[in-house]
Amino acid sequence: MTDSAIRPYVTRDTRATALAALTAVDHKTIGLRWIITAFAFFIGAGLLALTMVTQLMQPGLNVLSMEAYNQFFTMHGMTMMFFFAVPIMLGLGIYFVPLMIGAREVAFPRLNAFGYWVYAFSGIALWIALLMGRAPDAGWFNYTPLSGPVYSPGINVDLYALSISFLEFANLVAAVILIITIFKMRAPGMSINRMPVFVWSILVVAWMIVFAMPPLMLATIMLALDRIVGTHFFRIPGGGSSHLWQHLFWFFGHPEVYIIAIPAFGMVSTILPTFSRRRLVGYLPVVLSQVIIGITSFGLWVHHMFAGELSVLAMTFFAASSMSIAIPSGVQVFAWIATIWTGTKLRLTAAFYWAVGFIPLFVIGGITGVMVSAPPFDWQVHDTHFVTAHFHYVLLGGSVFPLIGMLYYWFPKMTGRMLNEKLGKLSFWLTFVGFNIAFFTMHYTGFHGMPRRVHTYMEGLGWGGPMLITWIGAMIVGAGFAVTLVNVFISQASGEPAGDNPWEAGTLEWATTSPPARHNFDSIPAVVSRNPLWYALEQDADATPAAYELPDNDRMTMGTSTLDGEPEQRLLVSDASIQPLVMAIGGTVAFYGALVSLWLVPFGASIAFVSIVMWNWPGRNREKEQS
Amino acid sequence: MSVEAQRTRPGAMDLPLNANDQSAPLWWGMILLILIEVVLFTGLIVSYFYLRFYAPEWPLGGISRPDLLLPSISAVLLFASSAPMYWADSSIKKGNVRNLKIGLILSLLLGIAFLVLKGIEYFGYDYNWATNAYGSITWTIAGFHSAHVISVCLKVAVVFTAATAGYFSEERNLGVRINGLYWHFVVVIWVPLFFTLYLSHYVF
Repeated sequence: MTDSAIRPYVTRDTRATALAALTAVDHKTIGLRWIITAFAFFIGAGLLALTMVTQLMQPGLNVLSMEAYNQFFTMHGMTMMFFFAVPIMLGLGIYFVPLMIGAREVAFPRLNAFGYWVYAFSGIALWIALLMGRAPDAGWFNYTPLSGPVYSPGINVDLYALSISFLEFANLVAAVILIITIFKMRAPGMSINRMPVFVWSILVVAWMIVFAMPPLMLATIMLALDRIVGTHFFRIPGGGSSHLWQHLFWFFGHPEVYIIAIPAFGMVSTILPTFSRRRLVGYLPVVLSQVIIGITSFGLWVHHMFAGELSVLAMTFFAASSMSIAIPSGVQVFAWIATIWTGTKLRLTAAFYWAVGFIPLFVIGGITGVMVSAPPFDWQVHDTHFVTAHFHYVLLGGSVFPLIGMLYYWFPKMTGRMLNEKLGKLSFWLTFVGFNIAFFTMHYTGFHGMPRRVHTYMEGLGWGGPMLITWIGAMIVGAGFAVTLVNVFISQASGEPAGDNPWEAGTLEWATTSPPARHNFDSIPAVVSRNPLWYALEQDADATPAAYELPDNDRMTMGTSTLDGEPEQRLLVSDASIQPLVMAIGGTVAFYGALVSLWLVPFGASIAFVSIVMWNWPGRNREKEQS
Repeated sequence: MSVEAQRTRPGAMDLPLNANDQSAPLWWGMILLILIEVVLFTGLIVSYFYLRFYAPEWPLGGISRPDLLLPSISAVLLFASSAPMYWADSSIKKGNVRNLKIGLILSLLLGIAFLVLKGIEYFGYDYNWATNAYGSITWTIAGFHSAHVISVCLKVAVVFTAATAGYFSEERNLGVRINGLYWHFVVVIWVPLFFTLYLSHYVF
């Protein structure tokens, strides 16, 4: 198992030139870029959080100026939600979905590369603005009229509106690619009820993005128009409505939370069976729960607006629908516990620690979620640290913990080397303990009236003591994540060789080499069970289905039917191209150029148009109708 | 352990290469693009009625409600443009490139005529997007839709050029058909938008 030769860290393209890097389209290259970029943003936003909690450690401190503090909390929220949490899930999907379904590529590799460039450019633009002291400063949900031209003159909020609307291209493109990859490119025999749960969770999330991101794009474009060309959508004196912003934003914003959480459920459902040495308990209820959460999440958004002007009927409806989310969430929690309970020969690896640690944190966050979904309770704690504590339990505990678990789980596949287990467990305990010290205390400060987003507070309010405890916890969390970061750097250079399947897991990504070759699979595997590799162990060699021979030199993969996974066609995968980068540059000119001169908008759009024509122009070989 | 140690079977090479039908990823891509656009337009329509139902009067600020004649003429031209596009699609399915090109040109001309009439209509109004929220939402909806008509016209021009270069045939025409699908979408979405921008003033 450990005898396979260790390949270099990045195996993508044999031509290791700058041009090869700029034209790369391989889903593993692009996926890894999403993952690394997202983690870089995570580190940046985490450092902002540590600075903010230092500012709040004691009353009356002045570590940060008020202006800087506003930019810090806005950028912390924006970066974590828009540039870390969603992109990391999409990046893992882009990297691992083709491997888990036995395909050699995603559906539209060039479009995939375009999505990454858009994501990178919009994030970098915001962080440059922060370094120049001009970052958005009206909060990550950026309520009007505060974010309108009257109360927020200057470039700060312009950058919010333009960056978010530009970024949504990347999310939508990735969602479309993932849906089509999952529907049309699964290995023969992988009917839709044999898909790995992680693939299901990515499918659900991709569909949610299709419905949730356009309203956000619309809202941010309308805000940009209000600010740049003087429209009146959200400006009350001209007949606009600031409530409209809230509706459009939260119609995206609440599904957003589940877009982040559902892949994490998929991750836990992947890690626990592998280390419990048994199939997931309740595959069908778990998958159905994820689908139900995905659909129901579109009927909850108004619970963010309980403190606004609402009818009793609206409040009752949205309170009930919000509480109902607890049911499918609870089904999954019981399925995970049952999987561990009935497991044979548990293997207590670092990945398993992170996945198990997720369960109590998610349950606590879920319980406080049910609490705040009751309007009378919500009015008491609205905009206090209680809410901050609630959503950090759900987002950090419920999403980042499984994510780090998945990093320990999949790092060997990505690099061919194991992460250090001892450092992994040390990192887990530091983070787990520090997290609870920091955020459980914030429930208390919230009950005692400490509001979110205040630059400082006066002495004698009784908040200084608990805030000091929160500061200590936050620093421990920072140290905990730092251990994993160090672990990644050490292990990718000198970790133990991993071999193809170090965890003896059952899904297809472990059937290929670590790291996977350019074409993923030498022949397209045929599948008759949910855990093909375990099936192969349990059955006679003759009972396992034979794989399909398909030459890899033509960049060819297999297209199958949507529900049953019957072979339908061969698909040619498009080759490297510079056009995705050119088109992303054109888009960047069009969007950010609006701040300089509106004439740059048609100019940038023209670049993008020329580029997309060249990109899609029927080529000399057979790849014509693949984009 | 590893699947690759398993037996393999031939036969995959007998499958068609890049199917020219609705199982193609490209077809699915266009369907999803259209779905995303439908969500966007729905958001615009919802925003229109949200602003309208909270407004003291509609249109705001003493603007008179739009006259129906010119918008109706342009709408008829736009709806008519779907017919030659349909004809172009079915021509290339039979391998007739000449009729494909004629159909594309006819649709393109009707699309441009629609844009010209829209321009005449909107630049003839005595309010614009910066006048008030009514101006903002109507100009944005019409402008956003016109931007779609412009882009689909550009797309038709590209398909026409590719057809001239001989890229499409009876066997290979998916590019033409997804272009047609998008054209029909841009036409059909004008039905709810036309109701919102014009007819709704006369209905309630």
